[in-house]
Amino acid sequence: MLVELKVNGEKRSADVPPETTLLKFLREYLDLTGAKLGCDVGDCGTCTVIVDGISVNSCIMLAAKANGSEVTTIEGLATTSELHPLQKSFEELGALQCGFCGTGMLMSAKQLLDENPDPTDFEIRDALAGNLCRCTGYTKIIEAIKDAAKNMRAA
Amino acid sequence: MATKPTQDLDQKTLVIEDTESALNAPVRVKEAHPIIYPLSLPETEERKATPAVGQSASRPDARLHGLGQTKYIDDIKFPNMIYAKVLRSAKAHAKIISIDTSEAEAMPGVYATLTGKEIPTNTFGPTFQDQPVLSDTVVRHRGDGVAAVAAVSEQVAQEALKKIKVVYEDLPVILDPEEALKDEVLIHPPKSNIYTSKVIKKGDVEKGLAESDHIFTNRYKTQFQEHVPIEPHASIALWDGNGRVTLWSSLGRITLGREDMSRTLNLPQSKIRMIGTIVGGNFGGKNEITNEPILALLSKKTGRPVKCTYTREDEFVSSTIRHPFIMDFTTGVNKEGKILARKIKMILDGGAYCSWTGTTIGKGSILAAGPYNIDNLHVESYAVYTNKTTTGAMRGFGAPQVCFAYESQMDEIAKTLGIDPLEIRLRNAFREGSLSPTSQTLHSVVVEESLLQAAEAFGWNRS
Repeated sequence: MLVELKVNGEKRSADVPPETTLLKFLREYLDLTGAKLGCDVGDCGTCTVIVDGISVNSCIMLAAKANGSEVTTIEGLATTSELHPLQKSFEELGALQCGFCGTGMLMSAKQLLDENPDPTDFEIRDALAGNLCRCTGYTKIIEAIKDAAKNMRAA
Repeated sequence: MATKPTQDLDQKTLVIEDTESALNAPVRVKEAHPIIYPLSLPETEERKATPAVGQSASRPDARLHGLGQTKYIDDIKFPNMIYAKVLRSAKAHAKIISIDTSEAEAMPGVYATLTGKEIPTNTFGPTFQDQPVLSDTVVRHRGDGVAAVAAVSEQVAQEALKKIKVVYEDLPVILDPEEALKDEVLIHPPKSNIYTSKVIKKGDVEKGLAESDHIFTNRYKTQFQEHVPIEPHASIALWDGNGRVTLWSSLGRITLGREDMSRTLNLPQSKIRMIGTIVGGNFGGKNEITNEPILALLSKKTGRPVKCTYTREDEFVSSTIRHPFIMDFTTGVNKEGKILARKIKMILDGGAYCSWTGTTIGKGSILAAGPYNIDNLHVESYAVYTNKTTTGAMRGFGAPQVCFAYESQMDEIAKTLGIDPLEIRLRNAFREGSLSPTSQTLHSVVVEESLLQAAEAFGWNRS
């Protein structure tokens, strides 16, 4: 079936089997491999992307369900000249270790800051509840999100 | 000779010109966070003069991680690549009577199947080579692979696994390591289930216990633990026309892996190229080969690149996990809480194969007495096979398990004798020049300082 989406502002489409998940669609048909496959059952959050303003586990969303939607992936955060403030803070404050959960963490964080520019620690933890980091780098991730929020408010 | 930085780093902002790459704009280093810039390290006078200690630094690979541009194995693909899946055993312990892959092979979209009999040397392992790449005569736990399929997609490969017919003949299943010790059912006959052991003796433990005012006997147990790297094991094999094989793998130890590849494939190491990329979490679980020889042979059979990414289920059932320990601690102390003797017996549940047990039993045994001065010590440890998931390397190689036991017992002793838990540790702690359980003289010992600083930091009330 034909699935058409707007990914990171660009119109993309592919003819895929109906059982194709959004994650598979992005990774295998569009070569956007920033969203990762971790558990394939919606537990670990490393596949997180933003669909019409809501962060979703793309491994348990069918591509067909996202047909016509606007999707933002990690590849859509930076411009050619500038990192997104979240990417900058994650990098500077050591929030990325093995990096495998990082892109999902960044997408969950982005959706949070899009809605709430000044989140409390509790709100950050709540927004990251669906993202697992097995290097256990949560403290740095929370610090980085607060740092990015501060920089974004000042900008 | 040590040189001092000419200026205090905190007092100024450094601007580092990166002239190496046009892509890298000048980096403004913030006061509190000097940055190690990715890929090309800036060679400023300050950096040359300042040792790394005390500086904040970011990881050189963090830039690409954050951009989502790091290429983990599952992010790599090749033209005409096909996908492999491994059928896991339906039994915890059984003889394999037959494996029939013909129906799977006949399925549209299936390129090839593989069984253990087709693997030139069907054993591997980092300590003993006791593990089959694909079981062909006996399955010893549910994670054992019995056959593999390569197909046009993961989904077709998964479907094809259901068409493979394996006939088993049940063998008695041993799940309890204490049962396994009795050797009534052998998991690797004719070998004993006790596949490795360790004894450490220091002083005279019986005399020490006889002289003690109090004797504490406790049993402590720890459980299995899976590493759960967020990145599942993944690898790609490509067998080329000149008989060389290249593997891209999430394996953390590629040189060791190449030895195992050479052995299992009966191929000289010069014909094997192992490429490790950035690993999405290892924690000890990616220290040995898993399905790499299978993918290599499937690639040889099909002439195509073959990829396999573990499902989360594969990861839990088939990859190695942390050894559970059963630890019997008998400790004799005097009235002041000074440890006079400690006798330890440990049983390590090794699961079906040895993997990294040798390292685990060694480190676990040496560290089992804790960071305490004990003149009379006897440690006896046994690792046994059971029909469970293979236990191997995991952060600390046995150290966390024994720490749980000796610190738990320390609290028991403190509570019974009415001594402050911090105080009893200070009375027994290693000092500069203390002898370790294996009689190594210890230097740079800061147990006391660490305990006092930690107690201060979290407000331990010594009253």
